Amino acid sequence: MKTNLTPIISALTRQRGVRGSLLVDETDGVIIDATLHVGMKGPAFAALAASLYRKARLSADAAGLGGVTFLRLRATEGHVCAAGKNEMVLVIVADARANIGLIRMEMLKALERLVI
Amino acid sequence: MADDIRRLSEALARDPASPVYLQLGEALRKTGQLDLALKVAVRGLERHPHDADSHDLLARIAVDRGELERAFDEWDMVRRIAPAHLGARKGMGYVLFKQGRYVEAQAYLSEAHELDGEDETVATALAMVRVKLREAGAQAPQGPQGPRQVHPEDTEDTADPADRDDPEHLRLFDQINEGGEHTALLLDATGLVMAGTYVTQDGRDVAQEVGAELSGVSDEARRAMRHLELGDWSSLTVETDAAVVAMAPMRDDALLLVAATKAMPLGLVHRVLDRCVERAGAWLTKGGG
Repeated sequence: MKTNLTPIISALTRQRGVRGSLLVDETDGVIIDATLHVGMKGPAFAALAASLYRKARLSADAAGLGGVTFLRLRATEGHVCAAGKNEMVLVIVADARANIGLIRMEMLKALERLVI
Repeated sequence: MADDIRRLSEALARDPASPVYLQLGEALRKTGQLDLALKVAVRGLERHPHDADSHDLLARIAVDRGELERAFDEWDMVRRIAPAHLGARKGMGYVLFKQGRYVEAQAYLSEAHELDGEDETVATALAMVRVKLREAGAQAPQGPQGPRQVHPEDTEDTADPADRDDPEHLRLFDQINEGGEHTALLLDATGLVMAGTYVTQDGRDVAQEVGAELSGVSDEARRAMRHLELGDWSSLTVETDAAVVAMAPMRDDALLLVAATKAMPLGLVHRVLDRCVERAGAWLTKGGG
């Protein structure tokens, strides 16, 4: 189902190496909107990514480092990137050849455009 | 934090003479809004020129802005207004340390230790200064700039014995950190610091706090990777309002953490992380000390 957020989410998926992008509720890890490649386990991914972002946000705050603006998890076979706003988390999963610098910039721009 | 800032701004707008500007200035400083923090602190100082905490706030903002001389002057003012102010000694010691004036830094930190012998941050800072002094082959303090002459026997009394006997864990990443606005920590599986330091710009050693809080993030990363079928995680980078923190897993579930200022390019943060991982790996292999 398309929502008014879909074009913003979909645009991220067109970046090289991006397998999927999701907008997730940070509190309960439920998908608000998503564009995923075939075979991606959306709900599980959303829950884990939201949980990771939430943990990072709370930890950084407790450590006196302020709010989290961007998070990147690098693994041997890909990347997870997340950026949050108003208890929503924009998440992408990308494979190892993705241009993370470009994706980061596009995610931060997209986050500015997201209004619910 | 944004809510706090809004609430404090409103309180200050309602009562411009209120001391709430101290909290507001500190909150703005912590979130990296240094120009605004400076404005708030300067206006507060205009209303409360003889308040030590106002000068202390201004000093901390000045440090964040890289204005070390100004910070030193403000802390010097704090010391004149409130002779028993611990933070002023620590701050002045920090500024002198950053300027490479280790002998004078030691003198101020020793004064701080006299004021509060229980303060672990002062003991750690003193240990770091002594490491630098030993490296430089420096003798006992002799310059006239410090607040008092400190004798070698005084300095021995104030050092943490562990630091004195084996300072290697404190300076494990010194060569990598040299000249950079970043710091590195090696944490064990329970989040306890094994090596490295994390001294804030106002001279506080927050290694244990930062380590304990952030080590839990790596557990979350490990858990996520198990389910996402992306292989083992190799690094986690968190950009915050105040800093960039990059982490990497080490053997035995240890964690390497690098924290850098926001001004440091992300690519460089990762290069530093890689070098620290290499260094910590070698250190762990030979038994961690």
